[in-house]
Amino acid sequence: MRMKEIAKAIIDSRKDLPPGAAHINRYDMDIEEGGCGVTGFACNIPVSGRHIIEPSVQMHNRGNGKGGGIAAVGLTPEKLGVSREVLENDFILQIALLDKSVLNEMEARFIRPYFSVDHEAFVETVEDYRDISGLEVKPPDVKRYFVRVKPEVLDRFGREKGLQRLSLDKIEEEFIYQNSYNLNLNLYSALGEKKAFVLSHGKNMMILKIVGYAEMAAMYYKLENFEAHIWIAHQRYPTKGRVWHPGGAHPFIGLNEALVHNGDFANYHSVSEYLKQRHVYPLFLTDTEVSVLVFDLLNRVYGYPLEYIIEALAPTGELDFDHLPDEKKEIYRQIQAAHIHGSPDGPWFFIIARNDVKKGEFQLIGITDTSMLRPQVFALQKGDVEIGLICSEKQAIDATLESLFKEDPRFGKVADMYWNARGGSYSDGGAFVFTVKKDRNGGHTLECTDKFGRIKEIEQKEKPLDFSVKPSVLKREKIRGLNEIIDIFEENSTYELFRGITPLIPTWNYEEFQTVIDTIKGFAEKDQLKEKVIELLTLLLDMRYHTGALRRRSILQILTDALDSIFLKTPSIEDMSSTGYGKGINFETRKSIRPPRGEEQVLFADASRFPPEGDESFARLISDAYALGWKRFICFRHRGQRFLGCGLGPDTKGVRIDAYGSTGDYLASGIDGMEIYVHGNGQDQLGQIIKAGKLVVYGDVGQTFMYGAKGGEVYVMGNAAGRPLINAVGRPRVVINGTALDFLAESFMAGDPHNNGGFVVLNGLTFDSKGKIVFYDTPYPGSNLFSLASGGAIFVRDPYKKIVPEQLNGGQIMPFEERDWQLILPYLKENERLFGITIEELLTVDGVQREPYDVYRTIGAVKLSMLAGTALIANEEWEEEL
Amino acid sequence: MVCSEDSFVFPKVERARSRFKNALGKFKIIIDKRCNNCGLCIELCPFGVFKKGAKRPKPQNDHLCIGFVCRKNPYHCVDRCPKGAISLFVNPSFEILGDRRWTGDLLVSTWHMAETGSIPHQGLNYKTGDSRGGFDKLRFVFPEKLPEGTYNGEIDTAIELNRSNDGRPNVRIPIPLYLGGMSFGSVSITTMLSRVKAAAALGTFCCTGEGGYPEELIPYDDHVITQVATGLFGVREETIKRVRIVEFKYAQGAKPGLGGHLLGDKVTPRVARMREAVVGSALFSPFPFHSVYSVEDHKKHVDWIKEINPRALVSVKVSTPTDVDMVAVGSYYAGAHIVHLDGSYGGTGAAPDIAKKNIAMPIEYAIPKVHKFLIEEGIRDRITIIASGGIRTAYDMAKAIALGADGVCLGTADLVALECIRCHHCESGRGCARGIATTDPELSNLVELKWGTQRIINLYIAWREQLIDILRRLGMKSVTELVGRYDTLVHLDYVKKEEVRGEMED
Repeated sequence: MRMKEIAKAIIDSRKDLPPGAAHINRYDMDIEEGGCGVTGFACNIPVSGRHIIEPSVQMHNRGNGKGGGIAAVGLTPEKLGVSREVLENDFILQIALLDKSVLNEMEARFIRPYFSVDHEAFVETVEDYRDISGLEVKPPDVKRYFVRVKPEVLDRFGREKGLQRLSLDKIEEEFIYQNSYNLNLNLYSALGEKKAFVLSHGKNMMILKIVGYAEMAAMYYKLENFEAHIWIAHQRYPTKGRVWHPGGAHPFIGLNEALVHNGDFANYHSVSEYLKQRHVYPLFLTDTEVSVLVFDLLNRVYGYPLEYIIEALAPTGELDFDHLPDEKKEIYRQIQAAHIHGSPDGPWFFIIARNDVKKGEFQLIGITDTSMLRPQVFALQKGDVEIGLICSEKQAIDATLESLFKEDPRFGKVADMYWNARGGSYSDGGAFVFTVKKDRNGGHTLECTDKFGRIKEIEQKEKPLDFSVKPSVLKREKIRGLNEIIDIFEENSTYELFRGITPLIPTWNYEEFQTVIDTIKGFAEKDQLKEKVIELLTLLLDMRYHTGALRRRSILQILTDALDSIFLKTPSIEDMSSTGYGKGINFETRKSIRPPRGEEQVLFADASRFPPEGDESFARLISDAYALGWKRFICFRHRGQRFLGCGLGPDTKGVRIDAYGSTGDYLASGIDGMEIYVHGNGQDQLGQIIKAGKLVVYGDVGQTFMYGAKGGEVYVMGNAAGRPLINAVGRPRVVINGTALDFLAESFMAGDPHNNGGFVVLNGLTFDSKGKIVFYDTPYPGSNLFSLASGGAIFVRDPYKKIVPEQLNGGQIMPFEERDWQLILPYLKENERLFGITIEELLTVDGVQREPYDVYRTIGAVKLSMLAGTALIANEEWEEEL
Repeated sequence: MVCSEDSFVFPKVERARSRFKNALGKFKIIIDKRCNNCGLCIELCPFGVFKKGAKRPKPQNDHLCIGFVCRKNPYHCVDRCPKGAISLFVNPSFEILGDRRWTGDLLVSTWHMAETGSIPHQGLNYKTGDSRGGFDKLRFVFPEKLPEGTYNGEIDTAIELNRSNDGRPNVRIPIPLYLGGMSFGSVSITTMLSRVKAAAALGTFCCTGEGGYPEELIPYDDHVITQVATGLFGVREETIKRVRIVEFKYAQGAKPGLGGHLLGDKVTPRVARMREAVVGSALFSPFPFHSVYSVEDHKKHVDWIKEINPRALVSVKVSTPTDVDMVAVGSYYAGAHIVHLDGSYGGTGAAPDIAKKNIAMPIEYAIPKVHKFLIEEGIRDRITIIASGGIRTAYDMAKAIALGADGVCLGTADLVALECIRCHHCESGRGCARGIATTDPELSNLVELKWGTQRIINLYIAWREQLIDILRRLGMKSVTELVGRYDTLVHLDYVKKEEVRGEMED
């Protein structure tokens, strides 16, 4: 049967469904929630629900405790009291009973007549919901049924609805869908009484949601030991009212998928109308519900492959569309024409967990809107166990990994790769999919693909370190080069030591590397060598080099642990007897902050237990310490603490902060003189309105990097996400060695770069698994570069002239002149010193060293007379043109 | 200076005459050559219209003349002039003055209040405009007689700005108004300083707008609200640390969904320095905060400012979309102390007409919508609502409060006090004939700081008197009692004008 006929048959079969709330006032809707924190991970082995707790807790500040939910896909039969066969073949109906007395009526009307029930039970809960601190509203009782539709019912349904020509499993799915719709319509009318609703009804998956934070759902329904391949969670931030039931909380369901959403789209009515034309009616009145209804429509009714579904949701636009191959263009054009009204418009990011029943695969999907208005981070870790993660914040990914590591050290605390998707793009399509597939040995593998189905694989195949095995202590003499390092340690500079060590690393195994690091760590016992040890280990953490048989993520974990242990060994600020140049402070001792005494110089501040913001925040501690006279800070064990470096006020020259761990949003915002070094990736909104000083990031940076910046000298080793340097004025001077997702330097107003104005150097490079520089195909793939800019310049390394005028909206490509080179040279030299990215390599094209003007190009502002002069002059020019 | 109720004393009204030789008024008087300079008219006129002159008296203050109604008075100069040399007629300039929203009557009465600090006596309508909508359709209904024992003492016009009980300082302003954001660049430094100094004298606040924090403002830090707007121009840690209130401007009611633009013309060296931009090159403020696309982003944004200044209050200025009530609740939960609703009637000439008149929800609908919703949510008493966007008179202010606001925020009224004639050429550098909305040094010299400050003080002292009068007639002790008292208002769509016994009677 043709797809078209199937679609028509299913849509027609819904003709008689009574529409839900026909006239919905915007007032009645929950769509204002907008904000949220979303997280999810997919793993090749089933892992327990407790690991969704950690990232959820980490993202409390993205919700307000008025709604949380989780979904699990790929469950384990033992925990559910059913056989594997039942688990895989039955639909799991999970019904939330807001009013328990409705149970008999509900079963009599919607369960017993239609289903043969293989197993049923109430979902187990803790005895008293008040035992979970912070949970204020009693979560609903949830009853779970493993069901198949009775054959005679299915037969009748098929006949009555005109679906006979569909395969039985498709008819059964449609029956489940319509039955749940009817149940919700009758027992949960959004504007009327609310007694019960369907939480989930797909195969091998389930959803639970509560009024509270997401992790409380896991705790209340005792999921700490419940195992699944895929988990997703959502912290909700409804702005409306007193919420007494979790009907509006995410995840929402299609059939075999659960969707969580961060954002808020503007065309809810248009999308609802599009659905209505296809006899699909939302009942829960949130934009999340309609999103997943669109997904289900495209997936199950229209039978689109995932790629086309993603295209319908987040259409490819602008220059990206032109880059598509012709055959894709043709299809995409059709998809866009047919489904643009069902395409959510506005800021959104979806995480979908689904059971692809036909293929027997579980999938975790992250899709960003075309303009990338919401934060999103993907991560992949491979090894004995394989995991893919999607999150609103990178720090929540690290929190998940740490939680997993504690239980099963085969998981590393660091992922092999972290990246962002480029919305609606030709390069990755703005979506990534983690698929859990069965392998030949009865186990599972994890595969990551982009929208186009191209596999995203980590390059390093080296075996990661198994941290569960205690390393044996090796004799120093046995390790190649170690004695030499020891001999020269005191005399040589950090850089010399670094250059001495890195060539040796490929010759070492994990035990040897561990021993070397331990030995170096030993030098830190001497106060006068402590700084050098920290510098050296930090260099090893920051820089890229060949790691031989060692997996980079394992090395990073070893180094982070080593550094943390040195930091933690620093005498406490409360320890009055000890002398020395450093003092340690943490959440417990924060109140003992005092001015530095004697030789004391460095404050080793452990961020780990501080709340991310507020009066007790870590950032506040640092600004208080600065006010007391501290100027040198080593801040470590960050777990997303925000605003580091903020609040110190003007003129902070001479202050230096080194930040380790998963630093948080708004780091270095508004700084005026100080230096901040971020040893790892930065999160979102770094360097807002930065005025002066220096920011160095040994990794990537997130959304709206340096928005409204006025100045500062900034070096980024990796990429920037969306909207870097938007609305910057003054004289920011920035080197981005990677690239940016899109909208780089929009409305840039940084004057004349040759006359004290600002600029960005964009190198468009990355590193391969051996630590070698590799240049991207194009230094900047986005469709918008330097749009509406009225000043400043971008100097882009583009020897193959890949940047085209179509990418510029208001900017122009100009010749790269000698004075441009003289302008950027000092910054490239510093870039070389910081990251080891040599000018020689930057000027090398196809193995040949070229002149700077053959390699770099200048993008400058077009003088728009309309904007520069008076209206009168503009008119005159207009007339002249006529 | 923190104005506690006990220590605060309102500044004195001092006469601040028009800075032009002939102030614009409703009536015009001419003395022709028949005059024998007997000086009778000078003696007669109780309004001081005439001044002694060498050849004949000068009707220098004819803007104070009450016009033809004077005929019944024994001191009517036209009739009493022994030589019949005085002629009185309606000033032709007055007839073309103003527009429906800001009628000639309103402009002239605002000038009058700014000059004298008292209610105009010339028979001008100083309470409503002629817009056929908005506040002009609302009327107070005063009880004919207040019940026995109604309060008769001092009336309190002060309001609290921090009601959240979050440990941040309480800030009390003695009048329920503060002055809204007009950036340096869009107005001259003298205009800006006049407003700030007046705000300081009145114990209230004035917002910097999005153009930086000129050094001249530093002495008045305690009365400055600094703005964090979408362009982030001129925003620095030290400016945020300096003030007691920080305002986030998400949108402007006059042009929601649109950004700001400062054309190259207005970007003078000083403006450029302040905004750290380049002279002569146009500046854009985007319409959204690029870092804020949802409520949790907003919370983070507020947290950031709170981190920089642990004592500041946070105001969130939003326009009035249909779901403004949700926005207000969201702001409260994100930690805002003030939600500032900016309706669609305001805006200087720099806001495009198409936006000014067609986008946001009328403020008189937005205020009660938010007020009611916050009550339902049980949080109304923990957040302050400030309304703005087309508040022109003391009566507008009182109506906004009766609709559910705690106080109001003013902009255009101040400029009118400085003799703005509402010519709508604010966007171009040398467009402002009155030297108010300009950064051109020559033009801005037209305004003197002392004069400007006093004019604004006078205006709001006069407003306060009117507010007290309204409250007294309603039998209220404090302006806080008026909040949300819709029952004191009627809408002329539902009641005939003639049937309303209330504000327009006197």
